[in-house]
Amino acid sequence: MKSKSLKALQYAALLIFVLSIIRILTGASDLTSVGTASAALLLSVPIALAGLGGLFSERSGVVNIGLEGMMIMGAWAGGMIGSKHGPWIGLFAAVCFGSVGALLHAIATITFGVDHVVSGVAINIIAAGLVRYISTIFYKSGAWLGPSQSPDVTSIGTNGIPVLSGGTYFGWKSPDVLSVLAEKHWFFISDTAAVIRGLTGDLSYVTMIAMAMIPLSVFILWKTAFGLRLRSAGEAPIAAESLGVNVYAMKYAGVLISGGLAGLGGGFLAIVAANHYQENQVAGRGYIGLAALLFGNYRPGGILMGAGLFGFADALQLRDSASIHALILLIVLILLFLVVRDFRKGKALKAALTLAFASLSLWYFLAVDELPGQLVTMTPYITTLLVMAVASQRLRMPAADGIPYRRGGMQ
Amino acid sequence: MSVAVELRHISKRFPGVLANKDVSMSVETGTVHALVGENGAGKSTVMKILYGMQRPDSGEILVNGRAVHFKNPNDAIDASIGMVHQHFMLADNFTVLENIILGSEPKKGVTIDFAAAREKIVAMAAQYGLEIDPDVLVEALGVGQRQRVEILKVLYRGARILIFDEPTAVLVPQEVDDLFNALEGLREQGMAIIFISHKLDEVLRVADDVTVVRQGSTVAEVKSKDVTARQLAELMVGSELPQPSTQGVTRRDLVALSLNDVSILTSTGGRDLISHISFNLHAGEVVGIAGVEGNGQAELVEAILGLRDYTGSISFNGSAIDHLSVAHRHDLGIGFIPEDRQRQGLMMNSPLWENRILGHQRSKPVMRGFILDKKATITDTARIMAEFDVRAPGPHTLATALSGGNQQKFIVGREISKAPALLVASHPTRGVDVGAQGAIWEELRRAREKGMAIVLISADLEELIGMSDRLLVMLRGAVTAELDPAKTTPEQLGSAMTGAA
Repeated sequence: MKSKSLKALQYAALLIFVLSIIRILTGASDLTSVGTASAALLLSVPIALAGLGGLFSERSGVVNIGLEGMMIMGAWAGGMIGSKHGPWIGLFAAVCFGSVGALLHAIATITFGVDHVVSGVAINIIAAGLVRYISTIFYKSGAWLGPSQSPDVTSIGTNGIPVLSGGTYFGWKSPDVLSVLAEKHWFFISDTAAVIRGLTGDLSYVTMIAMAMIPLSVFILWKTAFGLRLRSAGEAPIAAESLGVNVYAMKYAGVLISGGLAGLGGGFLAIVAANHYQENQVAGRGYIGLAALLFGNYRPGGILMGAGLFGFADALQLRDSASIHALILLIVLILLFLVVRDFRKGKALKAALTLAFASLSLWYFLAVDELPGQLVTMTPYITTLLVMAVASQRLRMPAADGIPYRRGGMQ
Repeated sequence: MSVAVELRHISKRFPGVLANKDVSMSVETGTVHALVGENGAGKSTVMKILYGMQRPDSGEILVNGRAVHFKNPNDAIDASIGMVHQHFMLADNFTVLENIILGSEPKKGVTIDFAAAREKIVAMAAQYGLEIDPDVLVEALGVGQRQRVEILKVLYRGARILIFDEPTAVLVPQEVDDLFNALEGLREQGMAIIFISHKLDEVLRVADDVTVVRQGSTVAEVKSKDVTARQLAELMVGSELPQPSTQGVTRRDLVALSLNDVSILTSTGGRDLISHISFNLHAGEVVGIAGVEGNGQAELVEAILGLRDYTGSISFNGSAIDHLSVAHRHDLGIGFIPEDRQRQGLMMNSPLWENRILGHQRSKPVMRGFILDKKATITDTARIMAEFDVRAPGPHTLATALSGGNQQKFIVGREISKAPALLVASHPTRGVDVGAQGAIWEELRRAREKGMAIVLISADLEELIGMSDRLLVMLRGAVTAELDPAKTTPEQLGSAMTGAA
């Protein structure tokens, strides 16, 4: 375990190093700026929460396409209740509403054996329609300004790591060493400082809570009896039943936790990322969370990586399209790395193909000064697709995931 | 010694079937007690009742002299009864340790106490001679080791009465020896062991007492040292054992199948899978293909059916069929009883009437023009079940719910119903009980008399000698001998198969 996190740190350092080189080469200073890192985190959190939600559900054996709908419920509740009773109660409501959507999914799939995908899609459609319907009622009654937007929610405070990344502790204003370092524009050192500052400074308390969910999920799922039983429901429910595990209860727990986390992700969008609920705010993040779940091979750490990747690409395209242009160079470098790896393994054809693609990308990088806007907007999706395609991975979904379960199946 | 478990007059009825009728047995501590019977005789039902998975309609269960009423397996586990399932109940993606502790995890605060669990498992494994690494994933384990995990699972829960449901069905001989050594150890520790099986030689090897069930009732309880395998078998079927045999010569003049210099070459350029095989098979004749498994019998079957490319020529009823597809050959009248009924012969999760369609999807009674005639199919399925004694509630029963013998009888019925001119029967009685075996032999005998040509492949030498009119011995892909079964003993055949003769 220790060596694993050490390895992750090494990879992170390597990535920043490569990005530093590209920054120097292209002058795209936003690649490793404080702002990009900070925005990337903000954009990653809801996806990570959705992914974690999917994790609990699918580990218990229930496919949860309904994450999107549960996030919508959460975002809407966060805006509606948060604007009335304050942001924290709004967040709590978001969790509750997400769980209500999940309860529906659980009843349909676990108790009545409805196909998981059908039920999930139904929840997505119902959630979107339902919140629009109620929002319209609020609008007509004059409580809301429009049928697609809630009143504003007061914001939740932020803080950082004392000394290193600023923040306020009991009235004491901490210095901000990393920001100072980041300003120096020293190769690699300033880049690293900026990234860490972006990831740790001016953090919303909700972001901290969300990030804490990652190790917490690892702990619950892999260190507690509850987690073992929940996973057994997704791996071998009949075996679990034969050992006295209440498989139904485990599945319900998994799906409800799933909805709570997705709801929190939605609430985060409405309360932290914006300051009100707006229609289409979720915009497919539930699905991307599912993609992060698959990318991360049904593990919390992997989900975080997947969400981070998407968040980073999304942050770049939102902030500075010039950086996207520089990103092509990163792709070229990664592809070249793959060429060397494949060639060493003796896969000459694959290496040649990758090399051709790398040359093409390089040519495009040199020939074009600025990417067309549409392509820029697509960047996060393209990046996710590319990485999922090249990352050689052995996906291992829970063995009984998505298979309807009936008690007494062993007889 | 005291009585650990006693069943008194247990009866259980399922819709349409009387599974158990007046079953009684008593198992003493420190003994291995075998429960034997044909497939479908009700052994499994008895054990499911004892393990709390089903409740008896009447009768009593006593554990250590006290009457118990189990509502579910947990109650049975609490009464120190453990079941080692035939189909392992393990999560592949969990470690051995996780599989064992699931459901009764030792705790330290809110977390699982992995260290304590590991210590306990290692100690237990050493005590009973069931060594295993607790930290490997179950998916990495072989069948024998998985069974160890299953045994450790029940021991971990403090079981003193262990039920083994056909534990040797999935094991290779070496693993069987290991299992029996483990059973010996458990017996010495004072456990009561119930051993369900229909392999009588194994039963006699390992058991102290034997209870025989037939058609849902206990018919005898004997000491294993007092009986022979043959006596047990006769108790199981309730009559003299069926013998593989045919009478008279039913051979017609018509040559049904003719192979002329048939070979299958390997793509790698190694030894041919089958080489230069030629023989004629007449209508009403059975040719037995003998050989140690993997000497080309399976490939020969695939060539005849058209599943594999070959060189040389095969003709059927006088005309060459080399260019014909599998379906076309089937339609011409080549029936097939596959060696692996669950993978090649049935759709396990489909009802029997859908299985009736398999391979017959182009002709009556299944089809009426372009339309599937469901009603006729169901009627015909019921007919097969009646004629071939397939014991199941009805045509809508899933294939997976049938015992192996009944599955096989269904396949035989399905293939013979079409009255094919040629039947390729690959291990037709493998893994079925004595009763079904006798029934299948009888069907083949009748088909032969009606003039069907049969290619019989089997590993059961007595079956080969008894059923065949002619024996071909295959060794390394070639036919190395042709024997007259009337003048051949199993020993002679065996040495011909290994190339010793």
